[in-house]
Amino acid sequence: MISVTALHKRYGDKIAVDDLSFEVRPGTVTGFLGPNGAGKSTTMRLMLDLDHGGGETLFDGRRFATIRHPMAEIGAVLEAKAFHPTRTARNHLRMLAAGSGIAAARADEVLELVGLSDVRHRKPQGFSLGMAQRLGLAQALLGDPGTLILDEPANGLDPHGIHWLRDVLRSLAAEGRTVLVSSHLLSEMSLMADELVVIGRGRMIYQGDVDGFVRRFTDSTVLVRSPHADRLTALLRGSVELLADGALRVSGTDAGAIGELAYRNDIMLTELATQTASLESAFITATEADEEYVGGAA
Amino acid sequence: MSELASGPLVLTDALRFEWVRIRTLRSTYWLVGAAVLLNAVLALVAAYGTQDRPPAPAFVGAILTGGGPFVPIPLAAVCLAAIGVFATGHEYRYGTIQPALTALPRRSALLAAKLVVPAAVTLVVAAVSMAVNAAVALAVWGELPGLTSWPVDEAMPGYLVLGVLWTVLGTALAQVFRGVPSALVLLLVVPLVVEQLMAQLSYVDQFAWLGPALKFLPFMAGQHLLDLGGTSDVDLFGRWASGGVFAVFVAVVVGAAWTTFTRRDA
Repeated sequence: MISVTALHKRYGDKIAVDDLSFEVRPGTVTGFLGPNGAGKSTTMRLMLDLDHGGGETLFDGRRFATIRHPMAEIGAVLEAKAFHPTRTARNHLRMLAAGSGIAAARADEVLELVGLSDVRHRKPQGFSLGMAQRLGLAQALLGDPGTLILDEPANGLDPHGIHWLRDVLRSLAAEGRTVLVSSHLLSEMSLMADELVVIGRGRMIYQGDVDGFVRRFTDSTVLVRSPHADRLTALLRGSVELLADGALRVSGTDAGAIGELAYRNDIMLTELATQTASLESAFITATEADEEYVGGAA
Repeated sequence: MSELASGPLVLTDALRFEWVRIRTLRSTYWLVGAAVLLNAVLALVAAYGTQDRPPAPAFVGAILTGGGPFVPIPLAAVCLAAIGVFATGHEYRYGTIQPALTALPRRSALLAAKLVVPAAVTLVVAAVSMAVNAAVALAVWGELPGLTSWPVDEAMPGYLVLGVLWTVLGTALAQVFRGVPSALVLLLVVPLVVEQLMAQLSYVDQFAWLGPALKFLPFMAGQHLLDLGGTSDVDLFGRWASGGVFAVFVAVVVGAAWTTFTRRDA
């Protein structure tokens, strides 16, 4: 369990993280979302005592800096290519293992796990971003920790790699681990995350499950097809939009109410389907007021 | 759940980390090799050049210590100081400070390890280098007079102290600058340009007031640890007091490094 309380960080006049509090539960993948400049990376750095700021983060009740071997409890990767270009992947991990009370042989195990066994003796200066991400994940898993904190781990991965990452993180969460992962890939996050923490301009926008976030920040609509669309349109109280193919898109009510209305008025329906908005739509709605960098129209 | 961090245990972890870090960098071996080889070649050339006359003890001291006080900077010590510069500077150049601090979040312990391990390597390499130089000179001359008498007996430990101080200084400077180039430039420019210029200016009447201050120039004072009893135009403290001047300068820079490392964001 990660408990974040009143995190605060200021760069001069600019507030990067503003009184941010949330919890990350074990057994779930928690997505950490926000527009560019929202303060996600800064928050993660504050949580890991890499940056100095206000507030407190507890990992199972303890501060990061008080744990003798944090890698055995918290695996964290905040930058993809944080390694010396001429130190082999294996030696990079062995170095971290040496300072963390972890057996050197564990380096080979995690390299096998992330699919980098064949390049373990290679210098990582020639690694692609995807390979660097895999090495980062190997680093995070080195101490077999109960908590993982990953900043944009899917960046640079190909579709197979993203699918693999999703499976790995979900299986780690299923083992009861606490997983906090930030990503800009919202479609991926909708498949991977159980819970969301969404921030904008350093402030909390939402914490809860993914469905709740979508429901809260979008209006779901109902798609209706009927041979008597004109009669149904006259009866519907919500906003009705006539689509090009003759279907109706109804907002402001739900499928049950529309079905009952049609039944009571002897109107035959050939299709009645609730259309839920995507995580991306919800994200854009939720964060549009907190966009730090907004481009002009093309 | 692992135990809570306590000082000595955390320092032990940091020392293990730093020892593996320094061993797994190819540049460490290049720099160690360069330091030993450079001094050995200098010793060989100097010994050959003087093999037709009996070696003076002061000259023996100069050969053992890579030129002694007759060079403005100890060349091998500069190579070894680069190991220190890389110990901290590379962490920022390549972003490895983040994984380092997520493994070892106690910054004082990590910095202490980064000061101690390269300094220990320097101590060993400097001792080996003197032994190699002695072997080279012995092979050429067939004798090594004055090895156990003044001033050589004091210049040899002085050389070890000087090497360690240079390495600690390199580590600390790169930590202050959070990078390699600035630290290396400062390590070379100050002793070779700034201090030499001040020494030369002190001979000009308008700048004669600089004369008494020269004994406090850190690198010049540090170089006096290799004093071999010759006369000097510059009025310096004695060997160990001069070493103290350099050590105080190094301590100030270490203090700045510790302050910035513990207070700034990583």
